[in-house]
Amino acid sequence: MTQQPINEQEVPSSPTAKSKKIGLIIAFAVILALLGLLAWGLGKVQAGPRESGMAPDFTITGFDGRTVTLSELRGQVVIVNFWASWCPPCREEAAYLEETWRKYEGKGVVFIGVDWVDTEKEALAYIDEFDITYLNGPDIGTRAAQAYNIQGVPETFFVAKDGELRGVHIGPLASPQLDEKIEKLLAEQYP
Amino acid sequence: MLAEIGLISLTIAFIFSLYATFASVYGGWRGRLLWVESARNAALLVVPLLTIPVIVIVYSLYTFDFSLAYVYDVSSRAMSPFLRVAALWGGQQGSVLFWAWLMAAFVGIVLLRKWDRDRELMPYVIFVSMLTTTFFVGVVLFITNPFMRLWHIEGAAELTQALFQPLTSMPYLPEDGNGLNPLLRHFGMIGHPPTTYLGFTGFVIPFAFAMAALITGQSRRDEWILTTRRWTLFAWIFLSIGLILGGRWAYDVLGWGGFWGWDPVENAMLMPWLTGTAFLHSVMMTEKRGMMKKWNMALIILTYSLSLFGTFITRTGVISSVHAFAKTALGPAFFAFIGFTFLGSLTILYLRWDTLKSDHSLESFISREAAFVLQNMLFLAVTFAVFWGTVFPLISELVTGTKITVGPPYFQRVTGPLFFALVLLMGIAPLVAWRKQAARTLGKAIWFPFAASLGIAAIWGASHRMHPASIFGLWLVAFVLSAILAEFWKGVQARRTTRNENPFTALFNLIGRNHRRYGGYIIHLGVVLIATGVIGDAYFKQETQGTISQGEVLSVGGYQLEFRELLGYPGSDGRQIVEAVTSLSQDGPIIRELTPRRDYFVVQEQPVTVPGVYSTPGVDVYVMLIGWDDLGTSATFKIYVNSLINWVWIGGIVMILGTMIATWSNPGQREATYVLKPSVLTSHSLLQEG
Repeated sequence: MTQQPINEQEVPSSPTAKSKKIGLIIAFAVILALLGLLAWGLGKVQAGPRESGMAPDFTITGFDGRTVTLSELRGQVVIVNFWASWCPPCREEAAYLEETWRKYEGKGVVFIGVDWVDTEKEALAYIDEFDITYLNGPDIGTRAAQAYNIQGVPETFFVAKDGELRGVHIGPLASPQLDEKIEKLLAEQYP
Repeated sequence: MLAEIGLISLTIAFIFSLYATFASVYGGWRGRLLWVESARNAALLVVPLLTIPVIVIVYSLYTFDFSLAYVYDVSSRAMSPFLRVAALWGGQQGSVLFWAWLMAAFVGIVLLRKWDRDRELMPYVIFVSMLTTTFFVGVVLFITNPFMRLWHIEGAAELTQALFQPLTSMPYLPEDGNGLNPLLRHFGMIGHPPTTYLGFTGFVIPFAFAMAALITGQSRRDEWILTTRRWTLFAWIFLSIGLILGGRWAYDVLGWGGFWGWDPVENAMLMPWLTGTAFLHSVMMTEKRGMMKKWNMALIILTYSLSLFGTFITRTGVISSVHAFAKTALGPAFFAFIGFTFLGSLTILYLRWDTLKSDHSLESFISREAAFVLQNMLFLAVTFAVFWGTVFPLISELVTGTKITVGPPYFQRVTGPLFFALVLLMGIAPLVAWRKQAARTLGKAIWFPFAASLGIAAIWGASHRMHPASIFGLWLVAFVLSAILAEFWKGVQARRTTRNENPFTALFNLIGRNHRRYGGYIIHLGVVLIATGVIGDAYFKQETQGTISQGEVLSVGGYQLEFRELLGYPGSDGRQIVEAVTSLSQDGPIIRELTPRRDYFVVQEQPVTVPGVYSTPGVDVYVMLIGWDDLGTSATFKIYVNSLINWVWIGGIVMILGTMIATWSNPGQREATYVLKPSVLTSHSLLQEG
């Protein structure tokens, strides 16, 4: 490596050298902070969404004012669907979700739509557009989303009658995936 | 058998890249030329060695070798031959292999060039570029290996993927594969991913040269800029094409009538494009005036880092996006790699900071130099705004525990005015002279375009009393357009009077004599056209949605859509198609029959909306079939009337043309623009580059 001084002009005066140092220290700090942020995000992603164990409890207040708490729904199969009005794949599954809900309504199945990082106006328009009748409410403070460690929307979690998670579906659901899953969960017998 | 050959070749490619990386840096450090030559040969051999696995995978995809897990994942018997070949980049494993292969090919081509003028740089160019290549080849080999086979272990419920037969297992050969994600089964699949990858990987070359120039600290330190100008343009234009094709693809298949949604994946691609564009301009400062050397170094490091950052966030899912990428074990390795690249390049820059001193300083605020500085600042501001919006969900979740996603409104509001200023500057800056210019002369140059654009905007605004911002936007594009055309006009006039040429010959010769300058103007012209399309999309979009029975009409923006009947039939690629036959009319006569459809991919259980589009230069009528009743007597449609949207694609094509002209070398001719060479360059002709 050639190490000769290559600048024939005079060495930079000390104030510039100082400001150079400060500037670059800031650059290093910013990059380290960014890397830290990415590492933290990566750690969360690598953990993946929850798929088993007790379903984290949450309470949600629907756009229509109804309130539901997951732990109070023991004995019923609960389908928790995370969605957002700005999400095109969510639109793909919306009609199927509603159709399935109407099919199983009152048969020991509860649907909960959790609206993730969204605005109320658009969310209500979305619910209206697909004529969604099951409970839907905003995920205030993204608490539910964090408890389930969702990676994006749509994601659907299946909660068995005993309150345990029985898997998660990432991406839009299509017929007959949800029907099959619900039938399986309804058939579960506990001693 | 074939797969084994691919795997062995891949393994040897990895060993060779690793060897090239270390041999080159050892040779450079100790001054042993033989080691450098050996490293160069090894790096060159990596290209054919990686070509073999690529061919094997393509062949396996084409011939349905479903014993390979990758083929099983992305190919299926129902897929057309071209999609089976394109499936090479349709999934994680194949696309990383493809990526590594492209990068190796870039490096190979660079190593084949003559190295007479900058031999000192070679060891470190090999070192930096092969280090990156080694990383990607290593990822293919150890993490996302496309040669994994499917095995059925006795008693296991699910299949196992492994390179070699696990104990108590049987090879598993499925009848058919899952096939490509239906959204990827589109013509855009041929063009968008490869061009994007070419853009992303191409930036490794200027980056490697910049690093090599820093590491050697050699006196002819601006050489790297001259050597890599064309490489940078090449990478940049492919990134541009990738962006435009991606937009077109989204417009065609995602079914929301738009082409840009400020999704993290899109932003990931936009950011290196922005800094790359800034770099392409600011290198002219170094080339002609020996200024902004530090800045260029920082910019190329930033550009390359942003392209790695973009790949990282999209491939690992750190920032959630509507674009679904499979989760893999890629994350930690990729994280370590980008951490090393960011910190390593910054450290080298820090150590060599003082070698990058400007030969001149800014003489006047009305000068080309000042315009470039301003332009760079604006580009960086846009980049920062996009970056902030992209990582904001992550920051907000870390700081407040709540994930806050900033949507398109944030990006539009913040970047809109900055883009406006950039386009305006694009109209004025080329008229400003280097070093300094009197405001009077500048005024003389711009008064005509300015007056013309005011006239156009006034007439247009009076006839279409719409959004005031749109009139402002239209004034802007009219101004820049007339400023650019005036430049062509002046050049042609000059040739006509001095050489007595007819206008066409004069135009042809004008461009021919100075590819860079007029190619640049043509690129600017493309940008203006794209801006026109964006203005149309932002301010004149009309939409409606409604359910209509057969024979009924849905109207929007002067167009009427009549629903005639609903058809159902099986289509290619294993899909069931429901198609609505509709006729579009404009205040009376029928102008086009449109057939928006919903394709349902049976195996993947996934529907894809295919819009029916009536397309003209002025307006696109974009009709989507949203739903229908069981009998097919009524259907729900969503109609977008997208004004001027086609100018986005036309502008893209103009940009590509301009870049081709700008990249073309002017054989044996001196650059006709005003060149003030920095002293260090006077002994070397600017024209021997490349």
